Amino acid sequence: MFEQFVNGIFWDIALIVFFVGVIGRLATLFLRSKRIDYSEPRNSGISGAIMANIHGFYPRKEISSRVRIQVIAGYMFHLGFFILLFFAAPHVKFIAEHITGFSYMTIPYWAFIVSAQIAFAGLILLWVHRVLNPVTRLISKRSDHVSSILVFVVMLTGCMALAEASSELRALHRFSVELLMIYFPFSALMHAFMFVPSRAFTGAFLGRRGVKV
Amino acid sequence: MTRIKDKKSSRIRKAIYCCVLSLVFVLTAPLIPYVIDAQADDVKTSKADKIIALQSPAINLWNEVRQRNAASEGTSQVKGVDSGILINKTGEDWRLFRMEMLMPYGAYFMAAIIGVIALFFLLHGKTRLPGGRTGELLLRFTLNQRTAHWFAAGIFWLLGITGLILLYGRFVLIPLLGADGFSITASACKEMHNLIGPLFILAVFALLVLYIKDNFFKLSDLTWIAKGGGMLGVHVSAGRFNAGEKIWFWLVMIFGSLLCITGLILDFSVFGQGREIMALSHVIHGISALLLISVSFGHIYLGTIGVEGTLEGMTTGYVDASWAKSHHDHWYEEMSAVSEAVKSAEKDTEVGTASPSPSPAAGD
Repeated sequence: MFEQFVNGIFWDIALIVFFVGVIGRLATLFLRSKRIDYSEPRNSGISGAIMANIHGFYPRKEISSRVRIQVIAGYMFHLGFFILLFFAAPHVKFIAEHITGFSYMTIPYWAFIVSAQIAFAGLILLWVHRVLNPVTRLISKRSDHVSSILVFVVMLTGCMALAEASSELRALHRFSVELLMIYFPFSALMHAFMFVPSRAFTGAFLGRRGVKV
Repeated sequence: MTRIKDKKSSRIRKAIYCCVLSLVFVLTAPLIPYVIDAQADDVKTSKADKIIALQSPAINLWNEVRQRNAASEGTSQVKGVDSGILINKTGEDWRLFRMEMLMPYGAYFMAAIIGVIALFFLLHGKTRLPGGRTGELLLRFTLNQRTAHWFAAGIFWLLGITGLILLYGRFVLIPLLGADGFSITASACKEMHNLIGPLFILAVFALLVLYIKDNFFKLSDLTWIAKGGGMLGVHVSAGRFNAGEKIWFWLVMIFGSLLCITGLILDFSVFGQGREIMALSHVIHGISALLLISVSFGHIYLGTIGVEGTLEGMTTGYVDASWAKSHHDHWYEEMSAVSEAVKSAEKDTEVGTASPSPSPAAGD
């Protein structure tokens, strides 16, 4: 019954909430009325947008030693998770069967395991650091902790189902993924889609005013 | 500002509790049907029906195949490690050690440690700060040190719990979940244990790099040990880390390294290691793990409910001066001397800046 629910109606609900939610939030962002800036630009807004996007990938020199853990753990988690999500053989098979209808290249099993370990290490380090650092603790909202824990649960249940020994474990993994999909559009996890436009917006805004981005 | 901070941290604490509870719920909920099934089976089936007959009718045949007194290795067209061995003689030794030594004595050892801690707590109670808090705070652990500690602790307990389920689960969980439920739980725990295991190497290495500096033994540590670490009511002096903490550090380093090495041998069985090496690795892995888990109970007790003011050193990074004076007086003196030196240097700088006499730079 649990498996039927997870593989049936709950999957449909999660998929609808995820896509409608993400498209809705992106649409709100792009369709909102913009104030026209009549001032003469001192520099190109487009170059500002591009530079802000590029510079966002590494820390500023002045603070690099203080944010070393966040940067290293951040890259570990995001790269590991990205590889795991889109190139692990079971995920590619699932995506082909349920979403895209076509398959693509997968990584070997050992690379799947290594990327999972790197993602786990990065996620745990990031969350521990978030809680221990007084600054990040103060600026963290409840949703940030919920997001971290949900992503951890998704990865943990995925790890539990690795042997593909029982359909219950796979259903548990799918259930946690579906919970995450429903939560996704309403949380800071939207940064997966928002980070490029938000960096571009800030970069263009500053670039037009001649600020070096 | 402090009230806002308190409110915020209380909200975060509640959020963390909620997250942990939901995590536990999500992970245990699918097992509920197995619990119900297992309980129903217990009612239906009497214990006598469950006993599996151990005497196999083919026992004589297998005794012949085993060839107890002949050469254990034959020849085979299959090429591979141990492929010439039909029945591994040492396998039975390993099985007996695991079932008759490791599991019962490991359980007794853990129970004894928990019992001693509980008895000590009942008799002695919580060790309070003498004279209460002073409000003066000393930085005991940096952010990196605390991050490494909690990272290692998280990994250690995840591995500890999954490892204990694999070792003792059949006795504790089969009556509760039934054989099918335990089979799923064991499979999940094995996968988690194998996948998360290699991260423990990273954790042990981080602890080594960040904590080794003040963990070398000194002669004064013998006095600390001889006086029972101050637990017998006599005050004992100590530096940044006392002998007990140093022993725990080196236990983690030595047995943690053994766990990492043997874990890798067991996890990656594709490098030509035979069954005997695997069995030996399992024995070392099991003993090291049970020892570290047992001693960690003491570490957790002393770091949380056992001694007032200790936990905050590992959560906020700061400890009260009263705690430092009481448990690590030599370290407190060192820190006070450094603090005095910094204050006097700052004072000198201020005086120098405020001085009316022109500096060479100003003169230029």
